[in-house]
Amino acid sequence: MSLKSLTRDWEAMSYGFLDASAKREIRRKMIKAVAVPGCQMPYASREVPMARGWGTGGLQVSLTLINPKTRVKVIDQGADDSVNAASIRRFLARVSGAPTTLDTLEADLIQSRHRIPEEKLREDQVLVLQVPNPEPLRPVQPNMSVARQMHADADYGRMWLQLYEQIVRSGRVMQGASYPSMVNGRHVMTPSPIPRWDVPKLHMARHLTILSAGREKRIFAVPPYTRVEPLVFDDVPYKVEEHGALTCSRSGAKGFFMNEIPQDDGSSKYEISDSEYGVKTIRHADGEEVRLGETWYRNGEMPA
Amino acid sequence: MAYVATRGGERAIEQAERLFRSELGEIAPERVAEVKSALPYLIDRVMGEASLYDEDLAALALAQTGGEMFEAVLLLRAWRTTQPRMQVARPVGQEALFTHRRISAAFKDIPGGQVLGPTLDYSHRVLATAVLEGETCAPAPVDPAAEPSPAFQPSVAAWQADNGLVDLPPRDETAPEDIPDVTREPLLFPAKRAHTLQSLARAETGGALALGYAAMRGYGQAHPTVNELRLSEAEIVVKHPKGTEFSAGRVKVSQAEVVSKKGEKLDLGFAATLGWNEVKCIAAATLDLNSKGAPKGAPTEEEFFLYHTEGVESSGFCIHFKLPHYVTFQSSLDAMRDANSKRKKAQEPAQ
Repeated sequence: MSLKSLTRDWEAMSYGFLDASAKREIRRKMIKAVAVPGCQMPYASREVPMARGWGTGGLQVSLTLINPKTRVKVIDQGADDSVNAASIRRFLARVSGAPTTLDTLEADLIQSRHRIPEEKLREDQVLVLQVPNPEPLRPVQPNMSVARQMHADADYGRMWLQLYEQIVRSGRVMQGASYPSMVNGRHVMTPSPIPRWDVPKLHMARHLTILSAGREKRIFAVPPYTRVEPLVFDDVPYKVEEHGALTCSRSGAKGFFMNEIPQDDGSSKYEISDSEYGVKTIRHADGEEVRLGETWYRNGEMPA
Repeated sequence: MAYVATRGGERAIEQAERLFRSELGEIAPERVAEVKSALPYLIDRVMGEASLYDEDLAALALAQTGGEMFEAVLLLRAWRTTQPRMQVARPVGQEALFTHRRISAAFKDIPGGQVLGPTLDYSHRVLATAVLEGETCAPAPVDPAAEPSPAFQPSVAAWQADNGLVDLPPRDETAPEDIPDVTREPLLFPAKRAHTLQSLARAETGGALALGYAAMRGYGQAHPTVNELRLSEAEIVVKHPKGTEFSAGRVKVSQAEVVSKKGEKLDLGFAATLGWNEVKCIAAATLDLNSKGAPKGAPTEEEFFLYHTEGVESSGFCIHFKLPHYVTFQSSLDAMRDANSKRKKAQEPAQ
C-alpha cells in the first residue's frame, strides 16, 4: 500500500466547495446547537462565492449537509424563482451535483430566506434558515459581548420591557417579523426574519431547523419536537398577521400568508407568498394531478 | 397558470451578469498584466483586504470586476477559502524587514535614519492633462544618493524601551503554527491580540480611515504621533518537510506604530498589512491605540471597529438590502395597520 493509493487526486475545488476542515467545524457546531436548542454557537464562517448577507450562513450549512443524492429546494421570501434563490440553487447544484426541486414534499434539504413553507415538513427533512441578525437582544443591547453575558444569565428583562412599552404606546406588540421566541424554555432566539405567521410552525415541529448567520458567524438550531414559544404576556395573546381571511387572486386559495400587490386604482390584490404552493393550487384547479401536502394552517387557523 | 409566467429568475440573472461582463469586454492576459503594472497601489489594497498575497490573482480580480473593489476582495477571499494551508512561515522581526521607506514624526532623526523612499507626500497634485492631448508623461530619472541607506533598520520603539519611555508588549512565545487564525476561527470578544491585528490587517481601508479619523478628530481619547511608519518587503521563510528552511520569496508589507503620552510613559498602537497602504496602517494603529479603556459601544472600542471595518461583511450586508424584503415588510405593515385601527377605535366618541 502506498501513500498515493490512500490519497485522492488533487482537485481545484473540494466536493461541495468547502474544504473538509470547514465542514468538520460546521458539523461540530451544528451538533452543539442541536444539543442546546436556541443557543448561538460561534463558528469561523468562511468566505463563499457570494456576498455576505446574501445567505452565506445558510449556504455553508447546506454545503456541509449536501450529498449527491440530496434533493434541494431553495426559497427566497417564499419564492423558488426569485433571483437570489435561483442563484443559490444553481450554485448548490453546480458544486455538489445534487438534484433540485421546487416541490416542498420532494425536498430533502430546504434552504430558505424568511419563510417556512406552508406544507408541513417531515422528520426526514431539514430546514436551513438564512439569518441576517442572529441576536434577539440587538435592539436592546447592540454590544455583542454584553449580549452574550445576558444570554448566559437568561437575563431577558430588557426584552420584556421593550415588548411592554410597545403595548403601552401602540396597544399591541409592534414586532413584525423575527419575533423573539423562547426555545426549550431557556434561550431566546430570533427566528430569522420569518413572519409571525411562521413562528408557530417551529413549535414542536417534526423537522430539524438549522439557523445560520454567515456574516455574524453564529449557528443555532431548533431540534425536532422542541418548544418554541413567542414572548407574550399572559393577558396579551400572540398575534399572527391577519391573513387568514385573504384570498389569493391567482389561485383562489385562502388562509395562507399573502403578498400584497398594490393596484393602480388604489386597492390591493393578494397572492400566496409560498409561490410553489400557489402554483400547485392552480395546477390542481386546472385538473392536473398534483400532490398537495398537509398544511400547517387550516382555513387560516393554526390547529392547537 | 399566472404564477408560471412570472418565472424567469434564472434567465434574468444570467442575462444581467452577461450585460455586466459585456461592458467589460474580453479579459485577456494582457489586460491583467496591464492592471498589475499600472496600478500597484490598488493591487496592494486588494491583497491587504483579501489577506491573500498574489499580485497576479489580485490583478485578475480587479480586471474581472472592472475595479469594483469590494467585489474584487470578495473574489480573492472566496478563492482563498478553497486553498489548503500548507505552511506557516517563520515570524519576521522588524529589524529583518527590507525597508524602502521609513519615517518618524516623533524625532527629528532616529537610529538608522529616516528614509523617504517612494512617496507623493510632497508632490504638487497637478493633473497631467497633456497626456490626454497625446503627449507622454515620462518620469524624470532618480539621482541615486551618494551613500545607500541601510537595507535593514532597527526599531524606534526598541530604542524608546531602552530609554524607559515605553513598555514593549511581552514577547509572545506562541509557536507559529499555534497562532490563532481569524480566517479559521470566529472573532470573539475580548479578542485575542492575534485576531485584533489580523482583523485590522484585512480591514477595509475606507472604513478604518473613517473610524480612525473620528478618533483623531477628538472622538477618541488619545492623539497619535507617528512613531515609525514603514514600507518594506518581508522575506517569507518556510520549512521544507525535510527540515531545511528556505525563502519562498518576498511580500510587500507596511506597518505603522503610533504613540501617545499616557502618564509617565508612552502608549503604543500598532497595525500592519500586506502591501503598501500607509493611510490604512496609520488609521488602524490609531484605533488600536485608542481601544485601551474605550467605553462599550464607543467607535474606538475594539468590538465596534473590528466589526464595522470588515469590508466584505459590511459591503455584502449593505447590498443585501437590494434583495426583496416583502415578507418582513408585509409583517410590519400588518402590525402598523392593526395599531392604527386600534387607535382610531379608541378615539371614537362613546355612543
